[in-house]
Amino acid sequence: MKERTNLFWVSVTLITLGCATASSARGDQNPAFAKANQDYSEGHFQEAVNGYQKLVGAGQWSANLFYDLGNAWFRLGNFGEAILNYERALALDPHHPEAAANLALVRDEARALELRRTALDRYVEAGTSTQYSIAASIAFWAALFGAARLFFSHRRSAALLSLIIFSTVVFAGSVFALYSLETGGKSGALAIVTGKDIQARLATADNASSVLALPPGSEIKVLSQRGDWLYAALPNDLRGWIPANAAQRVRM
Amino acid sequence: MSIMTGNQSQMHRSPLRHSLLARTAIAALALAALAGSASAEEPSITAVLTSSEAAVGQAVQLQIQVKGDRNVPPPAEISVDGLEIHSTGQMQSFEMRNFNMTSSVTFNYTILPLRAGRFVIPPQIIRVGGNSLRTPELTLNITDSANQSSGSNRATEAADPKKSTFAELIVPKTSAYVGEMIPIVVRVGFEIQTRVRNIPPELDLPGQGFTKQKMRASEARQVIGGKTYEVVTYKTAIAAVRTGAIEIGPVEVPAVILVPQSQRNRFPQNPLGMNDPLDSFFNDPWLMGSVPREIKLTTERVNIEVKALPPNAPPTFSGAVGNFTMTADGNPKSVQVGDPITVTAKISGRGNFDRVAGPSFEDEHGWHKYPPSADFKQDDDVGISGIKTFETVLSPNERKDRIPAQLFTYFDSLKEQYVTLRGDPIPVRVEGGAAPLATPPAAAAVTASAPAASPAAVPKQQDILHQLTDLPAAPQSFTPLFARGSFWFAQLVPLLALLGYVGWKIRQAHLDNREAQRREALQHEATELKRSLHRNDASPQEYFSRASRAVQLKTALAKNLDPNTVDAEVAASAFRADEETRRRLRHLFEKSDEVRYSGSGQNGIRLVPPEARNEVLDLIESLRE
Repeated sequence: MKERTNLFWVSVTLITLGCATASSARGDQNPAFAKANQDYSEGHFQEAVNGYQKLVGAGQWSANLFYDLGNAWFRLGNFGEAILNYERALALDPHHPEAAANLALVRDEARALELRRTALDRYVEAGTSTQYSIAASIAFWAALFGAARLFFSHRRSAALLSLIIFSTVVFAGSVFALYSLETGGKSGALAIVTGKDIQARLATADNASSVLALPPGSEIKVLSQRGDWLYAALPNDLRGWIPANAAQRVRM
Repeated sequence: MSIMTGNQSQMHRSPLRHSLLARTAIAALALAALAGSASAEEPSITAVLTSSEAAVGQAVQLQIQVKGDRNVPPPAEISVDGLEIHSTGQMQSFEMRNFNMTSSVTFNYTILPLRAGRFVIPPQIIRVGGNSLRTPELTLNITDSANQSSGSNRATEAADPKKSTFAELIVPKTSAYVGEMIPIVVRVGFEIQTRVRNIPPELDLPGQGFTKQKMRASEARQVIGGKTYEVVTYKTAIAAVRTGAIEIGPVEVPAVILVPQSQRNRFPQNPLGMNDPLDSFFNDPWLMGSVPREIKLTTERVNIEVKALPPNAPPTFSGAVGNFTMTADGNPKSVQVGDPITVTAKISGRGNFDRVAGPSFEDEHGWHKYPPSADFKQDDDVGISGIKTFETVLSPNERKDRIPAQLFTYFDSLKEQYVTLRGDPIPVRVEGGAAPLATPPAAAAVTASAPAASPAAVPKQQDILHQLTDLPAAPQSFTPLFARGSFWFAQLVPLLALLGYVGWKIRQAHLDNREAQRREALQHEATELKRSLHRNDASPQEYFSRASRAVQLKTALAKNLDPNTVDAEVAASAFRADEETRRRLRHLFEKSDEVRYSGSGQNGIRLVPPEARNEVLDLIESLRE
């Protein structure tokens, strides 16, 4: 009887602590976030941007925070920064519907150029990196357990063999999808042009021949960096150099 | 490094000089050493006129230059009615820049116009290796010499046969328009006997009221008036920036020549005045000793009257003056709405390419145009002839079936009027998105609330969505899941489970092995006992003990039991024995216990009678599952 009573109180304490932790982490209880939202609603967009950026600087990254920051930049007319933050929101939560809708609108408004995506890229981007990682992990261990079971059993089971083959195929497909995601258009090399009147050039000089004019918000894929210049793959399958301070990577 | 060799038609008549041999030998060695790298260059061809306009009787130079190969046959005879075209020789050039070797052959022609008019010099085809190279078509406008207003200005100090040097400033026009490119040539000649030690590689053109660049020197050997000269030519092109008279020159060319310390001390002047090779050899300053002397060659001044461009220039005029043609193309030809299309426009001809801007589009409605990129490839030494390529990215906002025509306007200084070039519309296929809208975007916004009839007519979102006020419980990370430590730490759980499973299976196999060994030992013991029970060599005490042990072993093997725990009842139950067998088993175990503990089993009997032995054997055999 005494043991049951102790177990009850331990459970109550743990549940209470969990609820308190979850409640304290909610944004509507974060005064800095609430203040930035209030600035935004009152039309003080620059103050709102400053408030959101403080949270970003403090490492409080979340899809909603970047989405709100993108909205504030849009209100200030800075399409490059707005698109960058919508992209960051989608990098954290690929199925963020508001960020996707606003990104499409701002891209249209800014005439931003997008990197060309192959059909394979589009198929692969149907899933997220997290989903592929979990699928790969489960398939890998299922295949290993199946192989161990097969090794110790005295007879070959067709069902067991099928499970091993299926798991191996799923594992290989997930790893390939992860590789494609990490090297494709949504990889860590993806950057957004935030400067204005940016020209991609043939060489690392301001007077070098222009390759392509990049409106703010245009996507580039950073291939390498040399000093203050980035060598990047550009929309329309071109490549060129742009100033390093004219673009920011999506992944921080 | 630049090595140039002349191959004029009259060259073989020049006196044989010792230094000439040395130069030729050095040039030949350099040619042999560099021929391999030169042959790897991609061949190309250009053709340039020194002026695209001239008067009747005024000579114009034509140069056809082939780069990338030195074994090039000369073009066939060029024949144009109204023009007298003579070849004046060819010149080979080898140039090394940053260890890149380039070789070229230049064919020189003099064109003498016989009558006024507009003449077209047709393309010349030259076979280089396995390729046929084709020069561009050139146009030469000839005015009547009686009323020409833009004739050539040739300010010559001396091309006098009596003098050993000359300098001249060649300006092909006496009047020009603001912005019009005027080629300028300064030629400095030294008679072949004159030893030139130093001459500036670049010259500055004095004067004001025009844009100018440094003039770079090129060297060749030419025969003028029957005498052979080393001629240094400086070329540039200027463009007047204001109206009125502008003065060009005089151009001063400083040079250092070597003068012999004393001449003809040992060999008197040839009384017959003939060219004696020995005479030339012993008068060579390299042999006799010489001193450097600075000289300054000066051309005369040239005046040009600069006229303003006519008023009412078309809105597409960007300041280009000259004579141009335009071609245009676009790629890809089939896109979706919003996808970029690169439109390439090539403007070629002769004029001030620095003022040639990208062509404008006739109707940009429904298109989003990005600033064009430009690339200029010049065909001559001074950059007034060539091709300027513009690449403009267009993005269609709606369905389209053609890219609008491009317009480029320039001022034709010969016709003295503005000319607008209009390219043909480029057919493309733009799919997706909404159909072309007749109403402006604002009107579309008003009707956006109407229900959509089809996916193509779905109204676009007009403003961004609202702010979100929730933050997640914990900050999120851009690091992919597979790159996080927690992900790999979590893999320890299935790893430990797998290791546990494998360990358990191995231990189970080990235990199975021990059980098999135990059964093997019991089986072995049972076999030995059975064999001994058939023999008549044991005392009754020992025999019945063995028999009960045999029953215990048989029961233990059948039911996987410990043999020491087996008694008569257990054995009978294990084999589901009937009452008789059960009684006999009980009797066997009692007998065994009796002879083991009381010793009554002996009674003087030393061996078990055969009947009793058979009975025991039958009983053991009858125990079957």
